[in-house]
Amino acid sequence: MLKETIMKLEERALNPAKAVASIKAECGKDAVGCFPIYTPEEIVYAAGFVPVGLWGGRTEIKMADKFLQGFCCSIMRANMELGMRGVYDQLKAIIIPGLCDTLKCVIENWKTAVPQVPMIGMVYPQARWNRAAEEYLEAELKRVRSDFEKATHTLITDKNVEEAFAVYEEYRAAMREFTEVACDYPLIIDARTRHLLIKAGYFMDKKLYMEEIKKVIDGLKAMEKEAFHGVKVITTGLIGEPAEILDLFRECEISVAADDIAQESRQFRTPARKEGSVWEKMAGRVIDQRGCAFLAEQKKSRGQMLIDMVKEREAQAVIVCMMKFCDPEEFDYPVYKAQLEKAGIPVLYLELDQQIESFEQIRTRIQSFAEMLI
Amino acid sequence: MYLGIDIGSSSSKAAILDDKGALIAHAAVNEGTGTKGVERALELVFDEAGVEVDTVKFTVVTGYGRITYEHADKQITEISCHAKGVSYLCESAGSIIDIGGQDAKVIKIGANGIVENFVMNEKCAAGTGRFLEVMARVLGCDLSDLSHLAGQSTKEVPISSVCTVFAESEVISRLASGEKRSDVAKGAHRAIAKRVSGMCGRVGLKDCVFMTGGVALNSNMVKTMGETLGREIKAAPYPQEVGAIGAAVFAKELYEKA
Repeated sequence: MLKETIMKLEERALNPAKAVASIKAECGKDAVGCFPIYTPEEIVYAAGFVPVGLWGGRTEIKMADKFLQGFCCSIMRANMELGMRGVYDQLKAIIIPGLCDTLKCVIENWKTAVPQVPMIGMVYPQARWNRAAEEYLEAELKRVRSDFEKATHTLITDKNVEEAFAVYEEYRAAMREFTEVACDYPLIIDARTRHLLIKAGYFMDKKLYMEEIKKVIDGLKAMEKEAFHGVKVITTGLIGEPAEILDLFRECEISVAADDIAQESRQFRTPARKEGSVWEKMAGRVIDQRGCAFLAEQKKSRGQMLIDMVKEREAQAVIVCMMKFCDPEEFDYPVYKAQLEKAGIPVLYLELDQQIESFEQIRTRIQSFAEMLI
Repeated sequence: MYLGIDIGSSSSKAAILDDKGALIAHAAVNEGTGTKGVERALELVFDEAGVEVDTVKFTVVTGYGRITYEHADKQITEISCHAKGVSYLCESAGSIIDIGGQDAKVIKIGANGIVENFVMNEKCAAGTGRFLEVMARVLGCDLSDLSHLAGQSTKEVPISSVCTVFAESEVISRLASGEKRSDVAKGAHRAIAKRVSGMCGRVGLKDCVFMTGGVALNSNMVKTMGETLGREIKAAPYPQEVGAIGAAVFAKELYEKA
């Protein structure tokens, strides 16, 4: 049962186009695309759509060069390419947050490059640590609701949003439990499986996904904890892909004890506040998020957060999954690297690109790191 | 006997330790992965050692071609093997600058020749042996003569580009504008040294730094590296074969541990 559920979810994550195409038949809903890093998926869900994550993918870049040069991150280039080729035409709309310089430009260029897919851009507050930021974000979220209603000819009530938010809070709690439980089963839930199980949730109705991930959690909890003699690490960065690097983790007996990956735990690690309206709670989740390169902090907390994660999960090292040309992540790196080194925690820096074809150099880095630690 | 094999991108190396751990043979052939280089290196090393293949108790393979080599008992990365090999040959070694045919690494060595930390160049030929190969071709000399040519320099010509392809164009235009070949050659050595010194800064260097890899056979490169870093840098003994020697040391350790 556990094995079948894992395989089903892995298959889902490995074939996003097929997965999105099957959503309508599964739950009768249309899909709406959500760009990285953070989008208010609850608004989309409240309108009766299934939000799907658009985190790039492996594709040959032919058309996107017209709008995004070679020095832009490969996720954005892939999204632009797929949009221009018509792959996203089945989506009823997309939401793009302007969380980095490239995303800001994509918000503008999308209108020209992919005019057939309605786009709603949104802007998060830069200085998040005052009341004005919270008020602004609440207003921005309501503006997104309004634009989304117009784009999709729907009506989204506060009650709809409250119900959707409750579903998402349950989902986020389930994912926090999954990552905690998975840590004790590093062989069944190896790095690749862990990543794919989390990713599968971005191509399914959250209620249906939760049924599956809870089966995985229960299945794992019913088993003895696994003995592991390899290296436990914390991963950090934008995205832990291509999946081939995670195969190398497995080959080199490296398991992910916890992550600070934008596509993974950063999506669900911050629970909502208990008090306030649903809009205040949605804004509060972004305001309260810590240690993320895409959200400014008065004092960077990422280094200490990673140190704490290493201690808490009894990990031996941190592996940085650095998406090439991701400015926010690259700017953060020297700061937390110095903090980790001061704390005596080994750090491996992997420069990644979604379109990598040869993994030999990366293999040598990962294997050498494992040899150094085992 | 314990056998170490290092299949690099542009050369193949082999080394044999006897049962007591003494180095009895080592060989390098300038043909790398995907060629008959490894077979030739093995022929040479067994001839030199005067032993038969069936006396080998354990074999470790390393280098770029390690994954596809099927006749070893274990594969270990060249980073670990260089650290182990240099530590075996020079007990006091603290750091290694390893510049091979297509990549460069800076390695900090810990106790018992175990890697303490390392950095590796990104997927780019700048700062590697490939850069020198391209420069030698543009300057119209053999790779083995490049060091001598740079040694005749009286006025170093800076090569500003860090990209091998762009540097090639830059060198051609420098020569066209009348700069001496020797001065341009020295500039090419400096370009690599600057690139690699950035990597040294990222990982930090301990005392007693050795250069390994085929590029360490170029004495001017070792000298320029030392000048750029402002500290003494020595070529390791048998710099090209040191990875294979480290692999052989690992072979002995693993056999005895088993």
